[in-house]
Amino acid sequence: MSRLSDWWSERVPISGEQLRELTNEPVPNHMKKWWFCLGGTPAYLFVVQIVTGIMLAMYYQPSPNTAYESVRHITEEVTFGWYFRGLHKWAATLMIAAVVLHQMRVYFTGAYRRPRELNWIIGMSLLMVTLGLGFTGYSLVFEQLSYWGATVAGNITDTVPVVGGFLKKILLAGDNYNDQTLPRFYILHAAIMPVSLILLIIVHIAFIRVHGITELEVPEEPEDKPKSFDFFPDHMLTELALGLVLMILLSTLATIFPAALGPRADPLTTPEEIKPEWFFYASFRWLKLFGPTFAVLSMGLIVFLMFAWPWIDRALTRITRSKEISTYIGIVAVFLLIGLTVWESAVAH
Amino acid sequence: MSLKVKQILIGFLGLVFLASLIFVQGMEVARKREESGLVAHHVSIPATSAKCVECHNNLSPGIIDHWEGSTHALKGIGCVECHKANAKDADAFHHYGHTIATIVTPLDCSRCHPKEFDEFTHSHHAKAGNILASLDNFLAETVEGSRTPFNPHSPTPGMEVDMVNGMASLNSGCKQCHGSEVALTAKDGGLVTVKDLQPDEKGLPTNLEAVARIARNEESQPLMDASTWPNTGIGRINLDGSRGSCSACHSRHDFSPRRARQPENCGKCHLGPDHPQKEIYEESKHGVAYRDLKEHMNLDSEKWVLGEDYTQAPTCATCHMSAHSKGQAVTHDPGTRISWTNRPPVSMKMDTDVNHAVIKETDPAKRQSLIDSDGDSWQNKRDRMRQVCLHCHTNNYVSAFYKQYDDFVVNFNEKFAKPGKKIMAALRDNKLISKTPFDEEIEWTWFYLWHHEGRRARHGASMMAPDYAHWHGMYEVAERFYIEMIPQAREIVEHAEKAGRAGAADAVTEVIEAILERPEHKWFEEVKKAKDLEQATRAEPAEQEEKVDEAAEAEDAKEEAVEATGS
Amino acid sequence: MSDESSQTSGHTPPALNSHSTDTELGRRSFLSNSATVIMAGGLAGGYGTFFAMAGRYLYPSTQNKVWIFVSDAASIAPGESLPFQSPGGVAVTITRRAEKPADEVASGEPLAVDRFLALSSVCPHLGCRVHWESNNNRFFCPCHNGVFNANGIATAGPPAAEGQKLPHYTLQIVDGALYIEMPTSSIGRKA
Repeated sequence: MSRLSDWWSERVPISGEQLRELTNEPVPNHMKKWWFCLGGTPAYLFVVQIVTGIMLAMYYQPSPNTAYESVRHITEEVTFGWYFRGLHKWAATLMIAAVVLHQMRVYFTGAYRRPRELNWIIGMSLLMVTLGLGFTGYSLVFEQLSYWGATVAGNITDTVPVVGGFLKKILLAGDNYNDQTLPRFYILHAAIMPVSLILLIIVHIAFIRVHGITELEVPEEPEDKPKSFDFFPDHMLTELALGLVLMILLSTLATIFPAALGPRADPLTTPEEIKPEWFFYASFRWLKLFGPTFAVLSMGLIVFLMFAWPWIDRALTRITRSKEISTYIGIVAVFLLIGLTVWESAVAH
Repeated sequence: MSLKVKQILIGFLGLVFLASLIFVQGMEVARKREESGLVAHHVSIPATSAKCVECHNNLSPGIIDHWEGSTHALKGIGCVECHKANAKDADAFHHYGHTIATIVTPLDCSRCHPKEFDEFTHSHHAKAGNILASLDNFLAETVEGSRTPFNPHSPTPGMEVDMVNGMASLNSGCKQCHGSEVALTAKDGGLVTVKDLQPDEKGLPTNLEAVARIARNEESQPLMDASTWPNTGIGRINLDGSRGSCSACHSRHDFSPRRARQPENCGKCHLGPDHPQKEIYEESKHGVAYRDLKEHMNLDSEKWVLGEDYTQAPTCATCHMSAHSKGQAVTHDPGTRISWTNRPPVSMKMDTDVNHAVIKETDPAKRQSLIDSDGDSWQNKRDRMRQVCLHCHTNNYVSAFYKQYDDFVVNFNEKFAKPGKKIMAALRDNKLISKTPFDEEIEWTWFYLWHHEGRRARHGASMMAPDYAHWHGMYEVAERFYIEMIPQAREIVEHAEKAGRAGAADAVTEVIEAILERPEHKWFEEVKKAKDLEQATRAEPAEQEEKVDEAAEAEDAKEEAVEATGS
Repeated sequence: MSDESSQTSGHTPPALNSHSTDTELGRRSFLSNSATVIMAGGLAGGYGTFFAMAGRYLYPSTQNKVWIFVSDAASIAPGESLPFQSPGGVAVTITRRAEKPADEVASGEPLAVDRFLALSSVCPHLGCRVHWESNNNRFFCPCHNGVFNANGIATAGPPAAEGQKLPHYTLQIVDGALYIEMPTSSIGRKA
């Protein structure tokens, strides 16, 4: 055995100690176990998506003529096809929800503040890419809503001033939904965005490692209690447990609420109700309230503000002399988000 | 939470995950089991018919849509499989790479459905076309129209009318239910029908000279005579010698068995004043139950067996054709379960001979020998029907019903049908009415009596619709007989007497009076006759007057007594 | 991890002491081992089954076959061949075996499916289309003069050199109608 480990260490000159030091992130007691998992949850779900996504890609055909039929084939004929498709669909929902919850946790604990502004930007980028994955994924099914949702998205892109038309043409591979649109969405969904996500995650985690996790001081905490605990194996086991809980949850959801198949996309018939996926309900409602140009511009502004929040927060706390100003704004924003989402979900048109 | 606890927790969660996966596998097995044996639910167009679909999907997309909903489509039977024709067929033509014929006859269907073809060909349905092809269908052809074209009175604004086609009523009316004799236009303007073509048992014409006469268009498609096609009558006489049209009940192009199970389907033809089976069914309790419970009756299921797949209510098909759980398979010959034929003026018991024809022989021994040599007795037929009834009714119930029904038919036969027939025969034999049918009022009267009201009454009794049995039935029969037919016959006799034809007049009067003197008819003229007698004796001496007065008073008193106690 | 020292070493002989320490150590590691074993078992059971299912999913299914109508069986004469093309373009030749007078089918008797043979029309050599030559009672491939006998076994040309034969398809007769079993992928779908 020792000859084998010699063989190995000659060729891979990294010792176990070095690795352990590299990865053993001390986890502060506050971020006790379960709250801290809000970061790992979307990462784990992303892995689930990669695995189930690859499996779906084995049977999916990204051509407008056969896409729908291939999804039907997976759902109705392939052994366990309905199950893996259901996992993929539910993991998408849960992943987006987990990302949003994680962001809220980061926001409300002020973890974006100096010197972690750049990581906040990476995190915002992760959010954008995740939403992009959610959108492109649904458009691949080539149901009615897939087609018309993509068309609507193209039209919205068009209203962006100056670059709108150009962006729309790049997105749809033409002026309207055509034969090249679906393959383009497919490559975005299956290659470009996942790779971007992986790279961003690596940077995101690297940042966390080098900065470390802020240890919040809470008054009632006894002084002599250890301030942190080891990532390996303590937190790792927690994450493993959570991973299993997520798998059980996903399995249950995929079984009880399986992924269905709506009517096939028909370019000649616009359905009565066009709605995006739930995670776009808020912006869809915003769009319907304010008309395309204003809505697009205002949403662009909001996104920009979100990206720049660390600096805005700094300015605001200085101006208002209140450390909690961001918290109050955050509460309002969350209510707005939930309100718009629920409103859109309740309304038919 | 210590490490150990965490580890055990993970182990436990792993097992729960495993349990969820086992559940998923169980669901998969159940799904597969359910789907095994089911044909792939998407329809694929057979290669031979791909071109047909491509073109006709633009021309007449409804046909393709209907076909896609059919079992034929699921099994891969497309256009060519049914429409393909032998190049020697009279109506075959070449169409975009295939030799086809427009009309698909039962002989074509028999390639895959030989049993149904056999049963249907022996049934009365298949003979429906006979009424027109060889019998004198005077009413539609002559009374309502004209056998030869005639000149119009005046121009029709907006349309060129050269000559009036007097066969129009026949073509759009009678023939559409009964079936036309399919005819192709000949080059010389005449027609080519099955009689000219003389097809062999494969349906191929043997008279090639007739085939050569067929007029064709530029695509060598034979020209169909518009008076005979389109026609999907159930007794259509086809060019290949076969009788009938399967599409009559199994509408094309989805050939839906579900539709054929519903009474509305039969009701396309079996309705109206002369045989309101549809209306009768709707009045009956069977129809009421059906209307209420139709959605629960598994109309879509592949096999439709009474007692297994449904029991809520019988439809036309249930009693007359469908399979039931007491061991009867589907038959396409409804005649096998019918014991009376109520079609003729005088109903007959349905003893049939080896050729499935009704035995008219009256000698009991001869009848029996015909039944015994491969025929079928009416009792057997009734028994078959009884097996259907027994699914919901007890044997005593069914027997008692049949007694009611038999009594009703016999009453009609004996009180009105036979007498009516006798009177008409007497008038005809004594040449008091012309040979031309329907040119005298009494011919219409008699026709209404047996063909419309009489049939309604009998059908109403047979299918438990009291209103049709009585008010729409016997009540009108009685009125027709007493208030129209008898007076009209007597009027004819009167004219005959005035015209000096006493012998004929007397012969007919004898017949009429003999009928009216029978106990069942006596009520009609009893009082009148008594009054007439009184009138006659009033011319005698005065002392008779008292007696007559007394008699008259006694009559009055009797009448009042009758009125007080009677009604 | 093991910072709890044994408290009992006071009155035990050194040999026994180390033995008891060993035992204690053994007990402790047994406990943590058992937890680890449980954990490993749970993980293996859960994820292992998951990936086994993934494997089953990926394995191409043999069940996706469907019966397609060919023709009514009686209309194919003994010795006659019918070229058939599936909706997806798969070419098959369906032959009814010529009958010696001894085994002629009695009229009315249902036709047995073993009187029919369905062979692929695609030459196993390089994929050209073979056609049936009734006068020579053989299948002939024009590309390289491959010859197959009536049962589809190669008798001459490159396919014979490689001992190849024409793949056969399963047939069934239901109610007098002849059906062929085809994979659903060869069926295609209307757009």
